[in-house]
Amino acid sequence: MNRNMWRVLMLALALCLAATGPALGAKLKIGSLSPLTGPYAADGNDIANGVRAAIAAIEKEGGIPGFDGIELMAEDSACDPKQAVAAANKLVSAKVAGVVGAYCSSATIPASEVLAEEDIPMLTPASTNEKVTERGLKYMFRVCGRDDDQSVAAVTFLTGHLKAKTLYVVDDKTTYSQGLADNVEKLAAAKGIKVIAHDHVNQGDKDFSAVLTKIKSANPDALYMSLQNSASGALMLIQARRMGITAAVIGQDAVYHPQLMEIAKEAAEGAYLTFGFIDENTEAYKKFASAYAAFGKPGAYSGYAYDSAYVLLSAIKAAKSTDPAKVKAEIMKMDIQGASKKIKFMANGDSGSNYIIRMVKGGQFVNFWDPATGKTY
Amino acid sequence: MEIFLQQCINGLTLGGLYALIALGYTMVYGIIQLINFAHGEFFAAGGYVGVILLAWMAAQGMTQSHPWLCMGLALLLTMIYCAMLAMAVERVAYKPLRHSSRLSVLLSALGMSIFLQNGLMLTQGVYDKAYPTEMVSGLVTFGGLQISIMQILILSTTAVLLVGLNALVFRTNVGKAMRATAQDKVMSALVGINSGRIIALTFAIGAGLAAAAGIMVGFNYGSVRYDMGFVPGIKAFAAAVLGGIGNITGAMVGGLIIGMVEVMAAAYIQGGTEYKDVFAFIILIAVLYFMPTGIMGENVDDTRV
Amino acid sequence: MTPVSRTDSARSWLMFGLGLCWLFVLLWPLLGIGADGVLSFAETFAVWGRIAAAALVCMVVWRLRRSGSLGFLDAPAGSLRDGMARVAAGVPRPVWLIALAALALSFPLYTERYAQDVAVLVLVYVCLGLGLNVVVGLCGLLDLGYIAFYGVGAYTYALLSIHYDLSFWLSLPIAACLAAVAGCIIGYPTLRMRGDYLAIVTLGFGEIVRILLNNWMSLTNGPNGLLGIKSPGIYLPSLADGFSFEHLYMRKLEYLYYVILVLAVFTVIAVRRLNFSRIGRAWEAIREDETAAEVMGVNTFLLKLLAYASGAAFGGLAGVFFAARMRFVSPESFSFMESVMVLAMVVLGGMGSIPGIILGALALIALPEAFRGFELYRMLAFGGAMTVMMLIRPAGLIPAKRMGKRGEEAE
Repeated sequence: MNRNMWRVLMLALALCLAATGPALGAKLKIGSLSPLTGPYAADGNDIANGVRAAIAAIEKEGGIPGFDGIELMAEDSACDPKQAVAAANKLVSAKVAGVVGAYCSSATIPASEVLAEEDIPMLTPASTNEKVTERGLKYMFRVCGRDDDQSVAAVTFLTGHLKAKTLYVVDDKTTYSQGLADNVEKLAAAKGIKVIAHDHVNQGDKDFSAVLTKIKSANPDALYMSLQNSASGALMLIQARRMGITAAVIGQDAVYHPQLMEIAKEAAEGAYLTFGFIDENTEAYKKFASAYAAFGKPGAYSGYAYDSAYVLLSAIKAAKSTDPAKVKAEIMKMDIQGASKKIKFMANGDSGSNYIIRMVKGGQFVNFWDPATGKTY
Repeated sequence: MEIFLQQCINGLTLGGLYALIALGYTMVYGIIQLINFAHGEFFAAGGYVGVILLAWMAAQGMTQSHPWLCMGLALLLTMIYCAMLAMAVERVAYKPLRHSSRLSVLLSALGMSIFLQNGLMLTQGVYDKAYPTEMVSGLVTFGGLQISIMQILILSTTAVLLVGLNALVFRTNVGKAMRATAQDKVMSALVGINSGRIIALTFAIGAGLAAAAGIMVGFNYGSVRYDMGFVPGIKAFAAAVLGGIGNITGAMVGGLIIGMVEVMAAAYIQGGTEYKDVFAFIILIAVLYFMPTGIMGENVDDTRV
Repeated sequence: MTPVSRTDSARSWLMFGLGLCWLFVLLWPLLGIGADGVLSFAETFAVWGRIAAAALVCMVVWRLRRSGSLGFLDAPAGSLRDGMARVAAGVPRPVWLIALAALALSFPLYTERYAQDVAVLVLVYVCLGLGLNVVVGLCGLLDLGYIAFYGVGAYTYALLSIHYDLSFWLSLPIAACLAAVAGCIIGYPTLRMRGDYLAIVTLGFGEIVRILLNNWMSLTNGPNGLLGIKSPGIYLPSLADGFSFEHLYMRKLEYLYYVILVLAVFTVIAVRRLNFSRIGRAWEAIREDETAAEVMGVNTFLLKLLAYASGAAFGGLAGVFFAARMRFVSPESFSFMESVMVLAMVVLGGMGSIPGIILGALALIALPEAFRGFELYRMLAFGGAMTVMMLIRPAGLIPAKRMGKRGEEAE
């Protein structure tokens, strides 16, 4: 026997002990798909936790009649089409009643094709790409807003409030961030703002010094920062402020996360972000906040994930069955105030957007400007 | 001109960090011809341990009273920690495979890399961890040039570590033993060098340098994350090969070149920011095409390949 | 088993204790110091205690085995293994092959979607692994950018299908040719290099291809990926009105399973034939000693290029299927990590050994899926398992028979 065999066995056994198997029971099963590992794990965990919070809230309200509780299968999509499809197939095999997810549009699209083959409703809390709902899938719903609406809000803010003459656009080359940045560039040019340049950085970059030095010498009025990750946003803000770039910085909803202030600290002050309007005084938000308290501070997509799962579970409750056609009918009927926004689905599965401008002030996100009225809060 | 000089400084800072990581690759490669995939993970672990130690020191009120002492202490302890981690990894995952094919060690290293990365994720969480950047803030201006104190610190610490390493390798007995082991394990064992211990020491030193890079990245950019070792790991590997793998001076030169090329491509080529990695790799391929053993590499003889 | 001396036992217990202390020192900073700087020991001890307990069990078993106390278990286990080997050897090979074929063919009949999906993925990676095996296992060229050819194949079919509506079957040879050309382009400048220089250059090429796919908006649609790829189609005889052929897209997973099964079997046979041909022997000669091979009259330049091209062609075939199966391609699928995973399959299974690589693909695709139950611990377990497997079987799960020992390994 190998001299080092015991070490090997030790490792193997340690692994087995460290992991605990999931509990089993005869319950209503719903699934969630989000990147629990890999570079987007932070947002992916927010999504899974949002769904957990919704389940807790529904169970507190008395659960779903006919079921003995609700079981969540939180699968890892890893933001990778291959793994997302495998996870979706796993959910199909487990006969889930509906799925909340996924995060990256490039994982959502192939996964939704799999779920569509078996008529399983899918509600995405985070995939803002237009293509998600524009493929004519019967059971595809989107609870978050769309990229095209978000860029309109950003450009309205640039012209309406900041009165910016020049703009510098930076994105980090993902479906989401680039789509948004392209839209902003186009719209801004149409509104007469001079777009000095549109640069791309790579995902996971930490060093933005080269791009920022360029920006500094160009001295634009505003910098549109379209990044997929709040930490990257924080890093860019730190480096920009350190270099002495004074342009107004506008980010988007993926950068919207408490992490932004934790990392960037005072460098984040005064940054603007487009984000869905959240009315923290509604009943729904308070319910969400208390249910989510167990999981820490809500991230950008926690509220959307909560709403997605809440809509799905309420629809199942109202339909008194998990039959997809009946559940869909209930979802379409729904017109409720959710934690993140008012939810009313359109025929294609979209539920509209309500982007406003929020600002970092005193280490908090505060409502700042409403593009619909052109007024500051 | 000012902007160009500014970009040069940016390139130097980035290159210095790559060089520090590349040194670990090149030392390990030089001595046992292993591409240590887990090396990037030592860098990430260094970043984490640094911020953890600083958080503890902040809670003791030490960072407020003696900020420089704390930084130095954190740097030192982190380097020791990562050296210990590297020795443990070497003992468990590489040493038993010393006489197997090189690809099996490569794979074992890869498994360790995935293991360590996820271990960091499980113990430290998936979110970025913020560094107390306020400890070293401030800029120095020379005319229109701006250099942050942190950039100066990075460059000077890198320089000190590199000089120290060179002295260690070329001026001490341990360094002599290292070079002897790299050249011929059997012969060096015959003259009384404990090659197992020397190899473990090489791993420890390489990981210590990577840990230093990790802590400096944390301070310079403001946060660390569990998967941050991967991309710099690849770049540093490229830098090590560019300079001539196994050659310590080569690794420094390679790191600086890769850092410079990236920054310059991003700064001066249309659409260069998105293709900066492409330029880095094209330079690498071009150099290797004309100098198949890298800029400073010795001729690798057949038995080693 | 020889009896072990007392000092040896004491020494290994000492090492064991030292190892555990070392582990504790490594674990404690990560688990024991909170973000607010508060020190705690409870969690570290909980985790460390569990690992220590597991390790203690292993250690005791190992010591008992070494000292011969478990001989009463070893003897029957050994005779059982011998018996099974004798029975297995008694059954002729065709019977094994038929049984395996029957199992593979009937697989969709008794499994669910999830299992089928994993099986499809395994077979895709079998094709990739065998393709890479030609380059790494047979010719001995370490290639860290193999996934680029997979990407070329996938994007070729995606573009042909979307813009020209070309069928899956016609695209297969086209994509294979294009991938082979790409293989030659990448292979040509790298042929002067050896060993790890080759590895980094192929890595560089792989990254360049991925970055191009991600940035060449007009052709590849960048990070958005390409949508609307057709599934493989077949013509089925239809007797509805007279005799005609009906065109059917094979969207169902069962059909796709059979398509990839055919592709995988084709790859297995092709690689096997190559391996035992003149070319294969020349490749192996290059792998064992390039200089000697050249002296013996092997045209190393041409043969190495051929290895690249044929390896790439198999990768391209797998890529076409991948695009058709996903009906969507995006650059995320062709990252460096994927190249590494394919290489891991080849090395883990046993370089140059076809059954080994099939087993390697099965292990590396099925393991992360099997570990899904561990949730967050999934990739941790996977990384650990990979190292452990390498430690137990350094030459691979099923090592190839014709593999020489090179100079540095014999040290």
